[in-house]
Amino acid sequence: MMAQPATTKTKDAAPAMTDEEYAKFCEFFYRKTGIQFQFNKKYYVDRRIAERIEKTNSESFRDYFIMVRFQVSGEELQILVNSMTVNETYFFREEYQFDALVTGMLPSIAKTKPRRDPIRIWSVPCSSGEEPYSIAINILEHWDQSDAWNIEIHASDIDSKILNEARAGIYGERSLSRVSPSIRQKYFSRKPDGSHQICDALRDSIDFSLVNIVDPIQTRRFRNIDVIFCRNLLIYFDDTGRREAAELFFDVLAPGGYVCLGHSESMSRMSSIFLPRKFKDTIVYQKPLSPE
Amino acid sequence: MAFVKNKVNLPANDGMPAAQGCLADMLKQLSAPESGARRAAVRDLAAYPEAAMALCDRLEVEGSLSVRSVIMNSLIHAGTTEVASRLVSHLRSDDAQLRNAAIEALQEMPDAVAPHMRDLLADDDSDIRIFAVNILAALRHKRAPEWLAEVIRSDSHVNVCAAAVDGLIEVGGADVIPDLEALERRFADVSFMRFAIEAAIRRIRGE
Repeated sequence: MMAQPATTKTKDAAPAMTDEEYAKFCEFFYRKTGIQFQFNKKYYVDRRIAERIEKTNSESFRDYFIMVRFQVSGEELQILVNSMTVNETYFFREEYQFDALVTGMLPSIAKTKPRRDPIRIWSVPCSSGEEPYSIAINILEHWDQSDAWNIEIHASDIDSKILNEARAGIYGERSLSRVSPSIRQKYFSRKPDGSHQICDALRDSIDFSLVNIVDPIQTRRFRNIDVIFCRNLLIYFDDTGRREAAELFFDVLAPGGYVCLGHSESMSRMSSIFLPRKFKDTIVYQKPLSPE
Repeated sequence: MAFVKNKVNLPANDGMPAAQGCLADMLKQLSAPESGARRAAVRDLAAYPEAAMALCDRLEVEGSLSVRSVIMNSLIHAGTTEVASRLVSHLRSDDAQLRNAAIEALQEMPDAVAPHMRDLLADDDSDIRIFAVNILAALRHKRAPEWLAEVIRSDSHVNVCAAAVDGLIEVGGADVIPDLEALERRFADVSFMRFAIEAAIRRIRGE
C-alpha cells in the first residue's frame, strides 16, 4: 500500500497529520513523556500540532517532526509538551486527601521518623501550584505538630510554562472557589486586577522543578520522600507506564511512605508492592516499613 | 513557619547513565542481601539486553515482592521470545503471586508470547489452558479473538471454555456469535455457561 503524502499546513480545519503520521507521533510522544493518546484524541492533538507547524514556519508535519526529534536543545519538544498537557485544577481539590494527610499520614510518619530528619512531600504533577499550596495551607492550619518538624514540599511538572505560573502563585476566582474568606485573608493578597496572589512566605517555601517522571535521570534526584501526591496523571498512561510509575514511587519513597492517587485511580490495578491504607474517607498506598 | 525549602540534591553523576560499574558487578549485586540493592541492580541492568536471562534466573529464586515486580518490568521491556519462554514456565509455579505476575507480564508482550500460544492452548493441564486464555483476554494481538474462538470451538473443558467466553466479551466481534451459540448447545446442561454465553452475546451485540 502506498503511504499517503504528508499533509501540509492549511488555515482551515484540514488535519495536520495523516493517520500514519499520527500513529508515529503518538509513539514518539509516549516514549518521551509516558503520555498516551488514542485515536479518539486525534482532533485534540492535531489542532495543537497544526498551531506549532504554523508558529515554527514548518512546511509540513514531516518537517516539523524532524525538528522536534532532532533539535539539540529540546526546546520545541518542551513547547509541544506544554501545549498537550491538561492543567485544569483548583485549591483544595479532593480535599479529603489533605484531611487524611494531616490527620492520618503525617501523625503516622511522625511516630517513626527521627525528629532531626525533615518530612518530605512531593506533588507531581503540580500544575499551576494549587495542589502544593493547598498541602502547605492544610498542614499549617490543621496539623498541630507542624512547628515541631522541618517540612519540605517539592513540586514538579513536565510543563515549564505552568511551573512559572505556579512559582508566581497568582490565581483567579475560579481557582479559589473552595477557599474560605479567612484563608484568603491569611494566605493571599488581592492584586489590582482582581486576581489573588499566594503570600511570599508560602511561595518561597516550595521547591518547584521541571521533571518528567518517565525520565530516570531526572527522578533519581528524589529520594526519601514521605508522601507523594500524584493525582490524575496516571490515567493518561498505559499499563506499562503505570507499572513503571509505581516502581518509581517505590524507589523514591522512604520506608513507610505514602502515595496518594486521584479518586478514579487505583494502585492495585498497577502494582502489588504497596499496602493499601484507609485514612478516613480515602485509600492511600504505603511502601512497607521494613524491607522484605 | 514549619516549611524549609531544600533543593533536591543532585547526585554527583547526574546526567550520566545509571550503570557505571561493569556488567559483572551489577550481575553480582542481583544476589545482594538487601532487597533495595537488588532492586537497584535490576534497574541498572535494564539497560543491558544481554542481562535478560540473568534476570530470569534471579526471578526463579527471588523472594522479595518488590524485587520480583521490578524484574517483571525489565523483562517486559526486554520482550523477547526467550524471555516469554522463561515466563511461560512460571505458569506451572505453585506460587500464585509469581504465576499471576507472569500472566500480567505476558499480557504486555504480545509479539513475544504469540509463538507460545498454540502449545499453551493445547497443554494437557486445563489450568495452563485457562492461564493462556487469561493472557489472551488482555493481549494486544490481532489474532487474540481468533485464538479464543478456536478455544470455544475445540476445548472440551468447561472451565477453559468459560474463561474464553469471558475473554471474548472483551475482544470478540459479531463473527464469534455462531461459535458462542454452538458452545451453548454443547454445554446445554451447564446453567452457568448458558448464562455466561447469553450475557456475552448481548454484550457483543451491544444490547
